[in-house]
Amino acid sequence: MLVHLQGSWSPALGRLCMKQLAFLHVPILEYTFAVVALLGLAAVGAVTYFGKWKYLWREWLTTVDHKRIGIMYIIIGLVMLLRGFADAVMIRLQQDMAIGPHSPGYMGAVHGYLTPFHIGQIFSAHGMIMIVFAATPLLVGLMNIIVPIQIGARDMAYPYLNALGLWLTGGGAALVMLSLFIGNFAHGGWYGFLPYFELPYSPGVGVDYWMWAFQLSAIGTSLGSINLIATIVKMRAPGMTWMRLPIFTWASLSTNLIALTSFPVLMVALALVGMDRYLGTHFYTAGMGGNLMLYNDLFWIWGHPEVYFLILPAFGIMSEIIPTFSEKTLFGYATMVIASFAIGGVSWGVWLHHFFTMAAAPSVNSFYSITTMLVGIPTGVKIFNWIFTMYRGRVRFELPMMWALLALSLLIVGGMTGMMNAFASNDYMWHNGIFVVAHFHMMVLVIASSIFGAVEYWFPKLFGFKLEQKWGKWFFWFMVLGTGFVFVPMFILGLAGMTRRLDYIPYTAWGPYLHLEMVGIGLYGAALLFFLAHLYVSLRDRESRRVGADAWGTGRSVEWMTHSPVPSYNFALIPHINARDEWAWRKDNGLTELHPGDYEPIHMPKNTGVPLVLGAFFFTLAFGLTWRIWWLTALSTAAIVIMIIVRSFDTDTDMTIPPNEVERTEKRRSDRASDFIATGVPPYAGGPVGTATAYQRLPEPAGGTGASSGGRL
Amino acid sequence: MSAHSTAVDPKSASLWARHYPGHDVIGTRTFGFWLYMLTDAMVYAALFASLVVLSHASNMVGGPAPSEFINPRVAYEETIALFASVLTYGLAMVSLKKGSRRGVTGWILLSALLGLVYLGLSVADNVNLFQHGITPQTNGFLSAFFAIIIYHAVHIVVGVAWMLVMLLQIAKEGFSQNVVYRLINLRLFWHFQAVIWVFVFVFVYLQGVVL
Amino acid sequence: MSGHAANPLHHPEVSIANGKTYLANFVISVALMTVALLVVLSGMAPFDVFLVTTAIGGLTVIIQSYLILHTDTSRGQFWHTFSLLLFVPLFIVTIGLTAWMFHGLYQRTMIMPARSGASPMSLHTRAGTR
Repeated sequence: MLVHLQGSWSPALGRLCMKQLAFLHVPILEYTFAVVALLGLAAVGAVTYFGKWKYLWREWLTTVDHKRIGIMYIIIGLVMLLRGFADAVMIRLQQDMAIGPHSPGYMGAVHGYLTPFHIGQIFSAHGMIMIVFAATPLLVGLMNIIVPIQIGARDMAYPYLNALGLWLTGGGAALVMLSLFIGNFAHGGWYGFLPYFELPYSPGVGVDYWMWAFQLSAIGTSLGSINLIATIVKMRAPGMTWMRLPIFTWASLSTNLIALTSFPVLMVALALVGMDRYLGTHFYTAGMGGNLMLYNDLFWIWGHPEVYFLILPAFGIMSEIIPTFSEKTLFGYATMVIASFAIGGVSWGVWLHHFFTMAAAPSVNSFYSITTMLVGIPTGVKIFNWIFTMYRGRVRFELPMMWALLALSLLIVGGMTGMMNAFASNDYMWHNGIFVVAHFHMMVLVIASSIFGAVEYWFPKLFGFKLEQKWGKWFFWFMVLGTGFVFVPMFILGLAGMTRRLDYIPYTAWGPYLHLEMVGIGLYGAALLFFLAHLYVSLRDRESRRVGADAWGTGRSVEWMTHSPVPSYNFALIPHINARDEWAWRKDNGLTELHPGDYEPIHMPKNTGVPLVLGAFFFTLAFGLTWRIWWLTALSTAAIVIMIIVRSFDTDTDMTIPPNEVERTEKRRSDRASDFIATGVPPYAGGPVGTATAYQRLPEPAGGTGASSGGRL
Repeated sequence: MSAHSTAVDPKSASLWARHYPGHDVIGTRTFGFWLYMLTDAMVYAALFASLVVLSHASNMVGGPAPSEFINPRVAYEETIALFASVLTYGLAMVSLKKGSRRGVTGWILLSALLGLVYLGLSVADNVNLFQHGITPQTNGFLSAFFAIIIYHAVHIVVGVAWMLVMLLQIAKEGFSQNVVYRLINLRLFWHFQAVIWVFVFVFVYLQGVVL
Repeated sequence: MSGHAANPLHHPEVSIANGKTYLANFVISVALMTVALLVVLSGMAPFDVFLVTTAIGGLTVIIQSYLILHTDTSRGQFWHTFSLLLFVPLFIVTIGLTAWMFHGLYQRTMIMPARSGASPMSLHTRAGTR
């Protein structure tokens, strides 16, 4: 049944042996391992020194609170973003060094410092990590945190499943990180090449690592999407009709519908790779009746909707930030909603544009060319809506707004180059070229900018204080500069005909552009340092930047109607929704009292360690499968099945918070918020501009960082 | 201009939902499970798409044409067994409506038994094919063919196991909220297998005979 | 909507169960599948078999999803029906566009071997169906 393997295998350790411990042999990995090990030891030491293990376990690792799960998603995302950035630096450095036949080689490479096999692993890991383990967890985390609060719910529909999704994603991320040190990673690109990824051509464990990590994340994300959709459909507060839904929640709904429908196809695409590699079937083989293009078909049926799965929440974030900092209601709410769903719908009919060169019939290519161009229509609607939202508004250029505007500008560049890629005829010239790479990096930078904007925007909601602005602005401008220096030359090189994933650059004429890109990487590196300074200074001076419920003073939707930081139960009493921009409506009508009193008992789910342990077993299952350690695989599978069944017999899964405890918590928040009433800053007008002219400025609060009023609390 | 000055009069507006009963737990659970079933249907859609791609003559190299080994009569017997099992599970749900613990237990046992009959037929048929050298490893078409059939059979195994777990839970807890929503989810799961089986029977077995 | 205290057996998704429709579903489905089997065994031309069995299959699936999956527009089932309807075009897109793409691709890139008669692996020869 199982395929015959080349190389050694033992029943106890599978394919694992001393030789596979790469961090003992590869010089770069020796240092990396040392650094990672030191950081890990430092983290463990710090937690032990401060006696925080119990806190960590009780408050974080076993939590089912959607906000904490969201924060952990974001932490995973940021760590993996750093890893993906390190990969990017290594790729750029190699392409900066290995130019022309006379370029020197170091550490065993003929040119540059990385062997082809090594750089292959790096660009595969870079792509996969950035898409699957950085962008996805960051956005899922944000949706996890914000959506339930925005719809006035206490929690997600399935808190336990939510935690399971987190730990599956965590397991996948851990597997990718482990592949750095034990064995190797896939070396043929993040989306895989068939039949190159078949066992005879890629006999190592790299493809298996790639496949199982991908699979774990796919399962985690699908579970998350079910959860978010059910939450939005079933758990909206009374009065929250569909046309009163905050726009970010609309974006989350459409994006999770994409995830729900497309991720199963990815699971099939990967499972069939697995069957070919483990069972010797012939889905994608070059001979024996397989069809290698079937893989591309299935993968991109998921792959293109996945792109919109990432971009739609980014659009949602922009649609929240821009009205808040323009002090106007969002222009064209209904068209924005329709556009989100139009993008989601069209995303399902464009996937062939990833392989126009497959030699499909001209009619097929034309069809996909046209559907691809159709995406421009709803996206254009969105762009104009944002611009009209700012038009005649009181625009404040605070950090979240700056990020949103950067995202908007990059979207125009990325969108226009996307139209160029939509022509099948163009694609025949630059398929697998750097132009396409530069295009989609523009788009993922739209996502990244929105995420940074969202972090700035919602951070005070979660932690009760704003991030500082000075280092944040340095960070912002160095990101802008880095983007320009890296990607403008990349577009030019793309038009010059450079292909992607090169380990050696044959034309010295390309050198200057590649050196410019290296400068851009340096600027990105500086931006990273500014980001760390931004976080450090914010954390150090947090007491001076405490905020009340309405952190920016001009918040419009429901999340600004509860305290900052948000209590575990979100709302002491479930709000009754009366208007589209409920909080802006309440401010307009002087209904800003957030302490209604007469609290009631609150029913909440209990913490549980089961999802964490299940995630760990899924990790060992994937590890066992990767290395073909069959006893570990069987043991993990049995443990997973037994745990799921045993947990289903557990009836003690909920708890009730008594009213007096709710009151105590509410009082504490109230005291903190009252500091801001003492500063005497009048709240900004939150509603439509009304009789005020567009150029009328309200007095700036002391400190000059924009509004920080808590509203009339 | 203003989206929110129209509907509600702020003077009489209700701001907080006091004594809010919370959401409908059973309805939320079954909706989420239904969404999961739809993703599973999408898995089948992808597998059927693979079958379509791998059904050309060039995908059948080194193996027999489907008309030469597919036995629609066995598949028909499996159909009857599965549909009967779906019927008996439906009757279990009718007993649940009446609150009859004996009825639910009895009908679920019968469903599990019929599920096992289905599995027996399916396993026997496939083992027979394997013994004649018709295996998933033969060629691309057979890989896709067996992937669909075995994936469906795995669902039946999971369904039968789930039924046995539910029998234990009914015995332990009676018809608590958790047990009831799980029984409804199991109905969705089990009845969905019948719908999927129609596709498998028609498009894999019956149309395979004339492919 | 039922809160935590309500009797779970009174939930609309419990009371939706109906023995008569389940029985009707069984009878209709088995009858339709029998017809489909007979059509295949009748030795009809392959393309006609494709059309007829596809039609019967489609009909059965629609009947089943109404009778046993309860995809109607009642309050309790509305979202189930809605989400199913959302998926259906995607099933069609996934299978249909894939089939279309690869149909052209095979014609343009593959050498199509003419199928010879029964291979040595044949279990039972069904002469005349090809």
